Amino acid sequence: MRKRIYGIETEYGLLVNDNDFPYGPVEIADRIKDHVFSKGLGVLDLHYRAKHEPPGNGGFLANGGRLYIDMGHLEYASPECCNLVDLITFDRAGDQLVQDAVEELGWADQVSIIKNNVDLETNATFGCHENYLVGRSFPFDERENLKILSAFLVTRQIYCGAGRIGACNPHPFRDWDGVSMEIHEEEPVDFQISQRADHIPNEFYRWVQYNRAIVNTRDEPLSDPTKYRRIHLLVGDSNMSEFATAMKMGTTTLMLDLLEQGFAKREWILAESVGTMRSISRDPEFKWEITMRDGNRSTALELQWEILECAKAHLGGSRHETDWILENWESVLTDIPKGPEALLGRVDWASKYWMLSEFKKEENLDWHDPWLKSQDLEYHNLNRQTGLYWGLEETGDAFRKTTDAAIEHSKTTPPRGTRADGRGALIKALMGTHAGYLIDWIGFRLSKNEEPFLMLDPFISYKSEIHDYLRSMDLLPQPETPSPLPEKK
Amino acid sequence: MDMNDPLRREEKKESAPDRHDSGPKGPDVSRPGRDNLLKRMKKVDPKQSEKYKQRTGQ
Repeated sequence: MRKRIYGIETEYGLLVNDNDFPYGPVEIADRIKDHVFSKGLGVLDLHYRAKHEPPGNGGFLANGGRLYIDMGHLEYASPECCNLVDLITFDRAGDQLVQDAVEELGWADQVSIIKNNVDLETNATFGCHENYLVGRSFPFDERENLKILSAFLVTRQIYCGAGRIGACNPHPFRDWDGVSMEIHEEEPVDFQISQRADHIPNEFYRWVQYNRAIVNTRDEPLSDPTKYRRIHLLVGDSNMSEFATAMKMGTTTLMLDLLEQGFAKREWILAESVGTMRSISRDPEFKWEITMRDGNRSTALELQWEILECAKAHLGGSRHETDWILENWESVLTDIPKGPEALLGRVDWASKYWMLSEFKKEENLDWHDPWLKSQDLEYHNLNRQTGLYWGLEETGDAFRKTTDAAIEHSKTTPPRGTRADGRGALIKALMGTHAGYLIDWIGFRLSKNEEPFLMLDPFISYKSEIHDYLRSMDLLPQPETPSPLPEKK
Repeated sequence: MDMNDPLRREEKKESAPDRHDSGPKGPDVSRPGRDNLLKRMKKVDPKQSEKYKQRTGQ
Protein backbone atom coordinates (compact mmCIF):
# COMPACT_ATOMS: atom_id res chain seq x y z
CA MET A 1 0.00 0.00 0.00
CA ARG A 2 1.67 3.20 -1.14
CA LYS A 3 -0.11 5.40 1.36
CA ARG A 4 -1.13 4.50 4.87
CA ILE A 5 -3.91 5.77 7.09
CA TYR A 6 -3.17 6.04 10.79
CA GLY A 7 -5.20 6.60 13.91
CA ILE A 8 -4.58 6.59 17.67
CA GLU A 9 -7.06 5.97 20.48
CA THR A 10 -6.09 7.20 23.94
CA GLU A 11 -7.69 6.25 27.24
CA TYR A 12 -6.85 8.95 29.78
CA GLY A 13 -6.28 8.46 33.49
CA LEU A 14 -7.85 10.94 35.84
CA LEU A 15 -6.34 12.13 39.11
CA VAL A 16 -8.42 13.97 41.70
CA ASN A 17 -5.94 15.93 43.82
CA ASP A 18 -8.48 17.33 46.26
CA ASN A 19 -9.93 14.86 48.78
CA ASP A 20 -12.99 17.11 49.22
CA PHE A 21 -13.76 17.39 45.52
CA PRO A 22 -17.50 16.80 45.07
CA TYR A 23 -17.20 14.37 42.14
CA GLY A 24 -15.47 11.04 41.63
CA PRO A 25 -13.32 10.21 38.57
CA VAL A 26 -16.14 8.68 36.51
CA GLU A 27 -18.47 11.63 37.06
CA ILE A 28 -15.63 14.05 36.33
CA ALA A 29 -14.89 12.25 33.05
CA ASP A 30 -18.56 12.50 32.13
CA ARG A 31 -18.69 16.23 32.91
CA ILE A 32 -15.52 16.91 30.91
CA LYS A 33 -17.02 15.09 27.93
CA ASP A 34 -20.29 16.99 28.26
CA HIS A 35 -18.42 20.29 28.51
CA VAL A 36 -16.57 19.63 25.24
CA PHE A 37 -19.82 18.97 23.40
CA SER A 38 -21.65 21.86 25.05
CA LYS A 39 -19.01 24.18 23.56
CA GLY A 40 -20.11 23.16 20.08
CA LEU A 41 -17.02 21.09 19.32
CA GLY A 42 -19.03 18.08 18.17
CA VAL A 43 -22.36 16.26 18.33
CA LEU A 44 -23.31 13.67 20.93
CA ASP A 45 -24.61 10.26 19.87
CA LEU A 46 -28.40 10.03 19.80
CA HIS A 47 -28.44 6.23 19.70
CA TYR A 48 -27.01 3.20 21.49
CA ARG A 49 -23.66 2.15 19.98
CA ALA A 50 -23.34 -0.84 22.30
CA LYS A 51 -24.79 -2.08 25.57
CA HIS A 52 -22.49 0.15 27.61
CA GLU A 53 -22.54 3.05 25.17
CA PRO A 54 -25.96 4.69 25.58
CA PRO A 55 -26.99 7.90 23.82
CA GLY A 56 -24.89 10.81 25.06
CA ASN A 57 -22.01 8.56 26.11
CA GLY A 58 -19.85 10.18 23.45
CA GLY A 59 -19.91 11.65 20.02
CA PHE A 60 -18.01 12.71 16.93
CA LEU A 61 -16.04 15.93 16.90
CA ALA A 62 -15.81 18.69 14.33
CA ASN A 63 -12.20 17.62 13.74
CA GLY A 64 -13.43 14.20 12.58
CA GLY A 65 -12.31 12.40 15.74
CA ARG A 66 -14.37 11.05 18.59
CA LEU A 67 -14.60 11.66 22.36
CA TYR A 68 -16.41 9.20 24.61
CA ILE A 69 -16.43 7.30 27.87
CA ASP A 70 -15.13 3.75 27.69
CA MET A 71 -15.07 1.53 30.75
CA GLY A 72 -15.05 4.60 32.99
CA HIS A 73 -12.19 6.27 31.11
CA LEU A 74 -12.37 9.39 29.01
CA GLU A 75 -11.19 8.29 25.56
CA TYR A 76 -10.26 10.23 22.44
CA ALA A 77 -9.94 8.62 19.02
CA SER A 78 -8.08 10.71 16.51
CA PRO A 79 -9.57 11.20 13.06
CA GLU A 80 -8.06 9.15 10.24
CA CYS A 81 -4.78 10.79 9.23
CA CYS A 82 -2.72 10.12 6.10
CA ASN A 83 0.66 11.30 7.39
CA LEU A 84 2.61 11.33 10.63
CA VAL A 85 2.58 15.09 11.15
CA ASP A 86 -1.22 15.11 10.98
CA LEU A 87 -1.40 12.14 13.30
CA ILE A 88 0.76 13.75 15.97
CA THR A 89 -1.06 17.05 15.59
CA PHE A 90 -4.49 15.45 15.97
CA ASP A 91 -3.34 13.24 18.83
CA ARG A 92 -2.23 16.33 20.70
CA ALA A 93 -5.37 18.21 19.67
CA GLY A 94 -7.33 15.56 21.59
CA ASP A 95 -5.11 16.06 24.63
CA GLN A 96 -5.63 19.77 24.41
CA LEU A 97 -9.43 19.52 24.03
CA VAL A 98 -9.62 17.55 27.25
CA GLN A 99 -7.18 19.74 29.17
CA ASP A 100 -8.96 22.90 27.97
CA ALA A 101 -12.22 21.52 29.36
CA VAL A 102 -10.63 20.89 32.77
CA GLU A 103 -9.32 24.46 32.87
CA GLU A 104 -12.59 26.00 31.64
CA LEU A 105 -14.50 24.11 34.30
CA GLY A 106 -12.18 25.73 36.85
CA TRP A 107 -10.73 22.40 37.95
CA ALA A 108 -7.08 22.82 36.91
CA ASP A 109 -5.85 22.72 40.53
CA GLN A 110 -8.02 19.80 41.57
CA VAL A 111 -8.12 17.51 38.55
CA SER A 112 -5.23 16.21 36.44
CA ILE A 113 -5.57 14.37 33.15
CA ILE A 114 -2.86 11.71 33.07
CA LYS A 115 -1.85 10.31 29.69
CA ASN A 116 -0.35 7.05 30.91
CA ASN A 117 -1.39 3.39 30.94
CA VAL A 118 -1.08 2.12 34.47
CA ASP A 119 -2.11 2.83 38.03
CA LEU A 120 1.10 2.20 39.98
CA GLU A 121 -0.79 1.38 43.18
CA THR A 122 -3.55 -0.93 41.94
CA ASN A 123 -1.92 -1.99 38.64
CA ALA A 124 -5.08 -1.26 36.70
CA THR A 125 -4.16 -0.71 33.08
CA PHE A 126 -5.75 1.15 30.19
CA GLY A 127 -4.61 1.54 26.67
CA CYS A 128 -3.30 3.45 23.76
CA HIS A 129 -4.45 1.73 20.60
CA GLU A 130 -2.77 2.14 17.24
CA ASN A 131 -4.59 1.70 13.94
CA TYR A 132 -2.98 1.11 10.56
CA LEU A 133 -4.96 0.62 7.37
CA VAL A 134 -3.59 -2.11 5.11
CA GLY A 135 -4.85 -3.74 1.94
CA ARG A 136 -7.09 -6.79 2.30
CA SER A 137 -4.35 -8.82 0.63
CA PHE A 138 -1.98 -8.04 3.52
CA PRO A 139 -0.61 -11.45 4.61
CA PHE A 140 -2.03 -11.18 8.12
CA ASP A 141 -3.37 -14.71 8.31
CA GLU A 142 0.06 -16.30 7.93
CA ARG A 143 1.30 -17.19 11.39
CA GLU A 144 4.95 -16.67 10.43
CA ASN A 145 4.23 -13.06 9.49
CA LEU A 146 2.48 -12.47 12.79
CA LYS A 147 5.52 -13.83 14.60
CA ILE A 148 7.79 -11.46 12.69
CA LEU A 149 5.50 -8.54 13.56
CA SER A 150 5.49 -9.73 17.15
CA ALA A 151 9.32 -9.71 17.28
CA PHE A 152 9.35 -6.15 15.98
CA LEU A 153 6.75 -4.98 18.52
CA VAL A 154 8.51 -6.71 21.41
CA THR A 155 11.80 -4.96 20.62
CA ARG A 156 10.53 -1.51 19.56
CA GLN A 157 9.81 -0.73 23.24
CA ILE A 158 13.47 0.29 23.61
CA TYR A 159 12.53 3.60 21.94
CA CYS A 160 8.70 3.59 22.26
CA GLY A 161 8.23 2.66 25.91
CA ALA A 162 7.00 5.26 28.38
CA GLY A 163 8.65 3.62 31.41
CA ARG A 164 7.34 3.07 34.91
CA ILE A 165 8.51 2.44 38.45
CA GLY A 166 7.90 -1.10 39.71
CA ALA A 167 6.10 -4.03 38.16
CA CYS A 168 2.87 -5.93 38.06
CA ASN A 169 2.60 -9.72 37.98
CA PRO A 170 -0.84 -10.43 36.58
CA HIS A 171 -2.09 -13.93 36.07
CA PRO A 172 -3.37 -14.86 32.66
CA PHE A 173 -7.10 -15.50 32.59
CA ARG A 174 -6.81 -18.74 30.65
CA ASP A 175 -4.25 -21.45 30.24
CA TRP A 176 -4.49 -22.80 26.74
CA ASP A 177 -2.11 -22.35 23.81
CA GLY A 178 -0.41 -19.04 23.38
CA VAL A 179 -0.56 -17.89 26.98
CA SER A 180 2.81 -17.45 28.63
CA MET A 181 2.89 -18.93 32.11
CA GLU A 182 6.47 -17.74 32.56
CA ILE A 183 5.57 -15.26 35.25
CA HIS A 184 7.65 -15.17 38.39
CA GLU A 185 6.02 -13.76 41.47
CA GLU A 186 7.51 -10.99 43.53
CA GLU A 187 10.34 -10.25 41.16
CA PRO A 188 11.77 -6.98 42.49
CA VAL A 189 11.79 -4.29 39.81
CA ASP A 190 12.87 -0.70 40.40
CA PHE A 191 12.15 0.69 36.97
CA GLN A 192 11.12 -0.81 33.64
CA ILE A 193 10.98 0.76 30.18
CA SER A 194 7.38 -0.19 29.25
CA GLN A 195 4.06 0.50 30.96
CA ARG A 196 2.17 -2.24 29.13
CA ALA A 197 4.69 -5.10 29.01
CA ASP A 198 3.44 -6.60 32.27
CA HIS A 199 -0.15 -6.60 31.04
CA ILE A 200 0.18 -8.56 27.80
CA PRO A 201 -0.10 -12.31 28.47
CA ASN A 202 -0.61 -13.48 24.85
CA GLU A 203 1.26 -13.31 21.60
CA PHE A 204 -1.89 -13.36 19.44
CA TYR A 205 -5.48 -12.87 20.44
CA ARG A 206 -8.52 -10.91 19.38
CA TRP A 207 -9.71 -9.49 22.70
CA VAL A 208 -8.82 -6.03 23.89
CA GLN A 209 -9.32 -6.47 27.63
CA TYR A 210 -7.64 -8.85 30.11
CA ASN A 211 -6.23 -11.35 27.60
CA ARG A 212 -4.45 -8.65 25.66
CA ALA A 213 -2.02 -9.75 22.99
CA ILE A 214 1.14 -8.40 21.38
CA VAL A 215 -0.64 -8.75 18.04
CA ASN A 216 -4.38 -8.21 18.25
CA THR A 217 -6.02 -10.33 15.58
CA ARG A 218 -9.49 -8.80 15.61
CA ASP A 219 -10.73 -8.21 12.07
CA GLU A 220 -12.82 -5.06 12.18
CA PRO A 221 -11.81 -3.00 9.15
CA LEU A 222 -14.18 -0.03 9.68
CA SER A 223 -14.03 0.32 5.90
CA ASP A 224 -14.76 -1.76 2.81
CA PRO A 225 -13.86 -5.30 4.02
CA THR A 226 -13.19 -6.47 0.48
CA LYS A 227 -10.45 -3.87 0.05
CA TYR A 228 -9.01 -3.11 3.45
CA ARG A 229 -7.98 -4.46 6.79
CA ARG A 230 -7.27 -2.46 9.95
CA ILE A 231 -4.31 -3.56 12.02
CA HIS A 232 -5.34 -2.66 15.57
CA LEU A 233 -2.53 -2.80 18.15
CA LEU A 234 -2.88 -2.33 21.87
CA VAL A 235 0.60 -3.33 22.98
CA GLY A 236 2.10 0.17 22.96
CA ASP A 237 2.35 2.83 25.64
CA SER A 238 0.84 6.30 25.44
CA ASN A 239 3.62 8.69 24.55
CA MET A 240 4.13 12.26 25.69
CA SER A 241 7.03 12.86 23.31
CA GLU A 242 6.01 13.78 19.77
CA PHE A 243 9.16 12.08 18.52
CA ALA A 244 8.25 8.85 20.35
CA THR A 245 4.73 8.88 18.88
CA ALA A 246 6.16 9.47 15.42
CA MET A 247 8.67 6.66 15.81
CA LYS A 248 6.12 4.25 17.28
CA MET A 249 3.71 4.71 14.39
CA GLY A 250 6.35 5.38 11.73
CA THR A 251 8.60 2.39 12.31
CA THR A 252 5.57 0.13 12.68
CA THR A 253 4.18 1.23 9.35
CA LEU A 254 7.54 0.48 7.70
CA MET A 255 7.50 -2.95 9.34
CA LEU A 256 4.05 -3.49 7.81
CA ASP A 257 5.47 -2.38 4.44
CA LEU A 258 8.25 -4.98 4.74
CA LEU A 259 5.71 -7.69 5.52
CA GLU A 260 3.40 -6.59 2.74
CA GLN A 261 6.19 -6.54 0.17
CA GLY A 262 7.71 -9.83 1.27
CA PHE A 263 11.05 -8.45 2.54
CA ALA A 264 10.60 -9.28 6.22
CA LYS A 265 12.82 -12.15 7.38
CA ARG A 266 11.93 -15.25 9.35
CA GLU A 267 15.33 -15.02 11.10
CA TRP A 268 13.83 -12.14 13.12
CA ILE A 269 11.37 -14.44 14.88
CA LEU A 270 11.95 -14.78 18.62
CA ALA A 271 12.09 -18.07 20.49
CA GLU A 272 9.36 -16.71 22.77
CA SER A 273 7.66 -13.33 22.68
CA VAL A 274 5.61 -12.62 25.79
CA GLY A 275 8.34 -13.44 28.31
CA THR A 276 10.90 -11.63 26.17
CA MET A 277 8.82 -8.48 26.11
CA ARG A 278 8.73 -8.53 29.88
CA SER A 279 12.42 -9.37 30.30
CA ILE A 280 13.45 -6.56 27.95
CA SER A 281 11.21 -4.12 29.77
CA ARG A 282 12.55 -5.11 33.19
CA ASP A 283 16.26 -5.46 32.39
CA PRO A 284 18.00 -3.18 34.95
CA GLU A 285 21.18 -3.03 32.87
CA PHE A 286 19.47 -2.18 29.59
CA LYS A 287 21.27 -5.00 27.78
CA TRP A 288 17.99 -6.33 26.41
CA GLU A 289 19.23 -9.80 25.50
CA ILE A 290 16.97 -11.95 23.36
CA THR A 291 16.95 -15.51 22.02
CA MET A 292 15.95 -16.06 18.43
CA ARG A 293 13.85 -19.01 17.27
CA ASP A 294 16.94 -20.61 15.74
CA GLY A 295 18.65 -20.51 19.13
CA ASN A 296 21.00 -17.63 18.33
CA ARG A 297 21.45 -14.95 20.98
CA SER A 298 21.09 -11.29 20.15
CA THR A 299 19.76 -8.07 21.66
CA ALA A 300 16.68 -5.96 21.04
CA LEU A 301 18.96 -3.20 19.79
CA GLU A 302 20.70 -5.49 17.28
CA LEU A 303 17.39 -6.83 16.00
CA GLN A 304 16.07 -3.30 15.54
CA TRP A 305 19.24 -2.44 13.59
CA GLU A 306 18.68 -5.46 11.32
CA ILE A 307 15.08 -4.46 10.62
CA LEU A 308 16.14 -0.86 10.01
CA GLU A 309 18.86 -1.92 7.53
CA CYS A 310 16.34 -4.05 5.65
CA ALA A 311 13.88 -1.13 5.57
CA LYS A 312 16.60 1.22 4.31
CA ALA A 313 17.52 -1.21 1.53
CA HIS A 314 13.98 -1.78 0.30
CA LEU A 315 11.97 1.30 1.26
CA GLY A 316 14.51 4.14 1.30
CA GLY A 317 13.83 6.92 -1.20
CA SER A 318 10.23 5.87 -1.79
CA ARG A 319 8.62 8.77 0.06
CA HIS A 320 9.75 11.83 1.97
CA GLU A 321 8.01 10.60 5.12
CA THR A 322 9.63 7.16 4.82
CA ASP A 323 13.06 8.78 4.62
CA TRP A 324 12.31 10.88 7.69
CA ILE A 325 11.36 7.75 9.62
CA LEU A 326 14.47 5.87 8.47
CA GLU A 327 16.78 8.76 9.36
CA ASN A 328 15.33 9.20 12.82
CA TRP A 329 15.06 5.48 13.50
CA GLU A 330 18.78 5.32 12.84
CA SER A 331 19.47 8.34 15.03
CA VAL A 332 17.61 6.92 18.00
CA LEU A 333 19.23 3.47 17.69
CA THR A 334 22.63 5.18 17.47
CA ASP A 335 21.97 7.23 20.59
CA ILE A 336 20.46 4.52 22.79
CA PRO A 337 23.88 3.14 23.86
CA LYS A 338 24.91 6.63 24.98
CA GLY A 339 22.45 6.44 27.86
CA PRO A 340 19.15 8.08 28.87
CA GLU A 341 20.43 11.65 28.89
CA ALA A 342 21.22 11.40 25.18
CA LEU A 343 17.56 10.53 24.51
CA LEU A 344 15.89 13.33 26.48
CA GLY A 345 12.70 14.54 24.85
CA ARG A 346 12.76 11.80 22.20
CA VAL A 347 12.28 8.61 24.22
CA ASP A 348 9.77 8.78 27.06
CA TRP A 349 11.19 6.02 29.27
CA ALA A 350 14.68 7.50 29.01
CA SER A 351 13.47 11.05 29.70
CA LYS A 352 11.53 9.83 32.72
CA TYR A 353 14.40 7.64 33.94
CA TRP A 354 16.86 10.53 33.74
CA MET A 355 14.54 12.98 35.51
CA LEU A 356 13.60 10.50 38.22
CA SER A 357 17.24 9.50 38.75
CA GLU A 358 18.30 13.13 39.15
CA PHE A 359 15.45 13.78 41.60
CA LYS A 360 16.13 10.56 43.49
CA LYS A 361 19.76 11.61 43.92
CA GLU A 362 18.83 15.15 44.91
CA GLU A 363 16.30 14.06 47.53
CA ASN A 364 18.03 10.83 48.56
CA LEU A 365 14.99 8.69 47.79
CA ASP A 366 14.46 5.01 47.19
CA TRP A 367 12.96 3.90 43.84
CA HIS A 368 9.78 2.88 45.62
CA ASP A 369 9.33 6.06 47.59
CA PRO A 370 5.76 7.38 47.09
CA TRP A 371 7.18 10.76 46.07
CA LEU A 372 9.09 9.17 43.19
CA LYS A 373 5.99 7.24 42.12
CA SER A 374 4.11 10.54 42.15
CA GLN A 375 6.81 12.02 39.89
CA ASP A 376 6.32 9.07 37.53
CA LEU A 377 2.64 9.95 37.30
CA GLU A 378 3.33 13.66 36.93
CA TYR A 379 5.46 13.02 33.84
CA HIS A 380 2.18 12.27 32.03
CA ASN A 381 0.10 15.18 33.37
CA LEU A 382 -1.39 17.15 30.46
CA ASN A 383 -1.33 20.36 32.51
CA ARG A 384 1.52 22.36 30.99
CA GLN A 385 2.02 24.40 34.16
CA THR A 386 2.81 21.38 36.29
CA GLY A 387 3.36 18.23 34.17
CA LEU A 388 6.99 17.10 34.04
CA TYR A 389 7.12 16.39 30.32
CA TRP A 390 6.29 20.04 29.66
CA GLY A 391 9.37 20.96 31.66
CA LEU A 392 11.38 19.35 28.86
CA GLU A 393 9.57 21.52 26.32
CA GLU A 394 10.33 24.55 28.45
CA THR A 395 14.04 23.75 28.54
CA GLY A 396 14.10 23.11 24.80
CA ASP A 397 14.83 19.39 25.25
CA ALA A 398 11.55 18.16 23.77
CA PHE A 399 11.58 17.31 20.09
CA ARG A 400 8.68 18.97 18.26
CA LYS A 401 7.16 17.54 15.11
CA THR A 402 4.14 19.84 15.06
CA THR A 403 3.35 23.33 16.36
CA ASP A 404 1.01 24.78 18.96
CA ALA A 405 -0.76 26.77 16.23
CA ALA A 406 -1.42 23.60 14.22
CA ILE A 407 -2.72 21.81 17.32
CA GLU A 408 -5.06 24.70 18.09
CA HIS A 409 -6.38 24.67 14.51
CA SER A 410 -6.86 20.89 14.64
CA LYS A 411 -9.19 21.02 17.61
CA THR A 412 -11.97 22.16 15.27
CA THR A 413 -10.76 21.38 11.74
CA PRO A 414 -10.41 17.85 10.28
CA PRO A 415 -7.31 16.59 8.49
CA ARG A 416 -7.28 16.57 4.71
CA GLY A 417 -6.79 13.49 2.58
CA THR A 418 -9.13 11.10 4.39
CA ARG A 419 -12.85 10.68 5.00
CA ALA A 420 -12.39 12.57 8.28
CA ASP A 421 -12.56 15.72 6.16
CA GLY A 422 -16.11 14.89 5.04
CA ARG A 423 -17.11 13.72 8.50
CA GLY A 424 -15.92 17.02 9.99
CA ALA A 425 -18.04 18.93 7.47
CA LEU A 426 -21.03 16.76 8.37
CA ILE A 427 -20.59 17.40 12.11
CA LYS A 428 -20.33 21.13 11.58
CA ALA A 429 -23.49 21.13 9.45
CA LEU A 430 -25.43 19.06 12.01
CA MET A 431 -24.49 21.41 14.85
CA GLY A 432 -26.66 24.07 13.26
CA THR A 433 -29.77 21.90 12.79
CA HIS A 434 -32.30 19.85 14.75
CA ALA A 435 -32.04 16.86 12.41
CA GLY A 436 -31.78 13.39 13.89
CA TYR A 437 -28.62 11.48 12.99
CA LEU A 438 -26.73 8.26 13.46
CA ILE A 439 -23.02 8.57 12.77
CA ASP A 440 -20.31 5.94 12.69
CA TRP A 441 -16.78 5.68 11.28
CA ILE A 442 -18.05 4.13 8.05
CA GLY A 443 -20.95 6.46 7.31
CA PHE A 444 -24.07 8.07 8.68
CA ARG A 445 -27.83 8.16 8.39
CA LEU A 446 -30.10 11.13 8.90
CA SER A 447 -33.64 11.02 10.24
CA LYS A 448 -34.90 12.58 7.04
CA ASN A 449 -33.77 9.63 4.95
CA GLU A 450 -33.83 5.86 5.48
CA GLU A 451 -30.83 5.31 3.24
CA PRO A 452 -27.41 5.39 4.93
CA PHE A 453 -24.63 7.45 3.39
CA LEU A 454 -21.66 5.10 3.30
CA MET A 455 -18.04 6.23 3.56
CA LEU A 456 -16.35 2.89 2.99
CA ASP A 457 -13.13 4.20 1.48
CA PRO A 458 -11.05 6.02 4.10
CA PHE A 459 -8.92 7.64 1.38
CA ILE A 460 -11.90 9.55 -0.04
CA SER A 461 -13.01 12.74 1.72
CA TYR A 462 -16.65 12.49 0.47
CA LYS A 463 -16.79 16.20 1.22
CA SER A 464 -18.57 17.43 -1.89
CA GLU A 465 -20.94 14.42 -1.90
CA ILE A 466 -21.85 15.09 1.73
CA HIS A 467 -22.34 18.74 0.91
CA ASP A 468 -24.72 17.88 -1.93
CA TYR A 469 -26.50 15.30 0.22
CA LEU A 470 -27.05 17.75 3.08
CA ARG A 471 -28.28 20.37 0.65
CA SER A 472 -30.76 17.89 -0.82
CA MET A 473 -32.06 17.32 2.74
CA ASP A 474 -32.45 21.07 3.22
CA LEU A 475 -29.77 20.95 5.90
CA LEU A 476 -27.60 23.49 4.15
CA PRO A 477 -28.64 26.84 2.73
CA GLN A 478 -29.35 26.67 -0.99
CA PRO A 479 -26.80 28.48 -3.11
CA GLU A 480 -27.87 31.94 -3.92
CA THR A 481 -28.67 32.46 -7.56
CA PRO A 482 -27.05 35.66 -8.68
CA SER A 483 -29.67 38.32 -9.29
CA PRO A 484 -29.68 39.60 -12.83
CA LEU A 485 -27.88 42.84 -13.33
CA PRO A 486 -30.23 45.79 -13.65
CA GLU A 487 -30.61 46.88 -17.18
CA LYS A 488 -28.81 50.00 -18.06
CA LYS A 489 -31.08 52.80 -18.86
CA MET B 1 20.37 0.75 38.50
CA ASP B 2 23.81 1.74 37.21
CA MET B 3 24.69 1.69 33.58
CA ASN B 4 27.59 -0.76 33.67
CA ASP B 5 28.55 -0.57 30.06
CA PRO B 6 30.89 2.42 29.69
CA LEU B 7 29.44 3.08 26.25
CA ARG B 8 26.07 3.67 27.87
CA ARG B 9 27.31 6.40 30.17
CA GLU B 10 27.11 10.04 29.28
CA GLU B 11 30.46 11.70 29.71
CA LYS B 12 30.39 14.06 32.63
CA LYS B 13 33.35 15.94 34.03
CA GLU B 14 33.69 16.78 37.68
CA SER B 15 34.01 20.50 38.27
CA ALA B 16 37.40 21.55 39.63
CA PRO B 17 37.36 23.09 43.12
CA ASP B 18 38.19 26.76 43.14
CA ARG B 19 40.82 26.86 45.90
CA HIS B 20 41.48 30.59 45.96
CA ASP B 21 37.91 31.71 45.45
CA SER B 22 39.02 33.93 42.59
CA GLY B 23 39.54 33.72 38.87
CA PRO B 24 37.39 31.73 36.51
CA LYS B 25 34.97 29.30 38.08
CA GLY B 26 34.94 25.62 37.18
CA PRO B 27 32.48 24.79 34.43
CA ASP B 28 28.88 24.11 35.41
CA VAL B 29 28.55 20.55 34.15
CA SER B 30 24.92 19.96 35.07
CA ARG B 31 22.54 19.91 32.15
CA PRO B 32 21.13 23.34 31.32
CA GLY B 33 17.57 23.39 32.58
CA ARG B 34 18.16 20.64 35.13
CA ASP B 35 17.54 22.99 38.03
CA ASN B 36 14.28 24.22 36.54
CA LEU B 37 13.15 20.63 36.07
CA LEU B 38 14.01 19.80 39.67
CA LYS B 39 12.11 22.88 40.86
CA ARG B 40 9.06 21.63 38.96
CA MET B 41 9.51 18.16 40.47
CA LYS B 42 9.72 19.49 44.03
CA LYS B 43 6.22 20.94 43.67
CA VAL B 44 4.68 17.51 43.01
CA ASP B 45 2.43 16.23 45.81
CA PRO B 46 4.34 13.24 47.30
CA LYS B 47 1.04 11.45 47.95
CA GLN B 48 -0.60 11.88 44.57
CA SER B 49 0.26 8.40 43.38
CA GLU B 50 -1.89 7.03 46.20
CA LYS B 51 -4.81 9.22 45.09
CA TYR B 52 -4.74 7.89 41.54
CA LYS B 53 -7.56 5.34 41.55
CA GLN B 54 -8.06 3.99 38.06
CA ARG B 55 -10.24 1.29 36.61
CA THR B 56 -8.86 -1.24 34.20
CA GLY B 57 -9.70 -0.32 30.65
CA GLN B 58 -8.72 -1.88 27.37
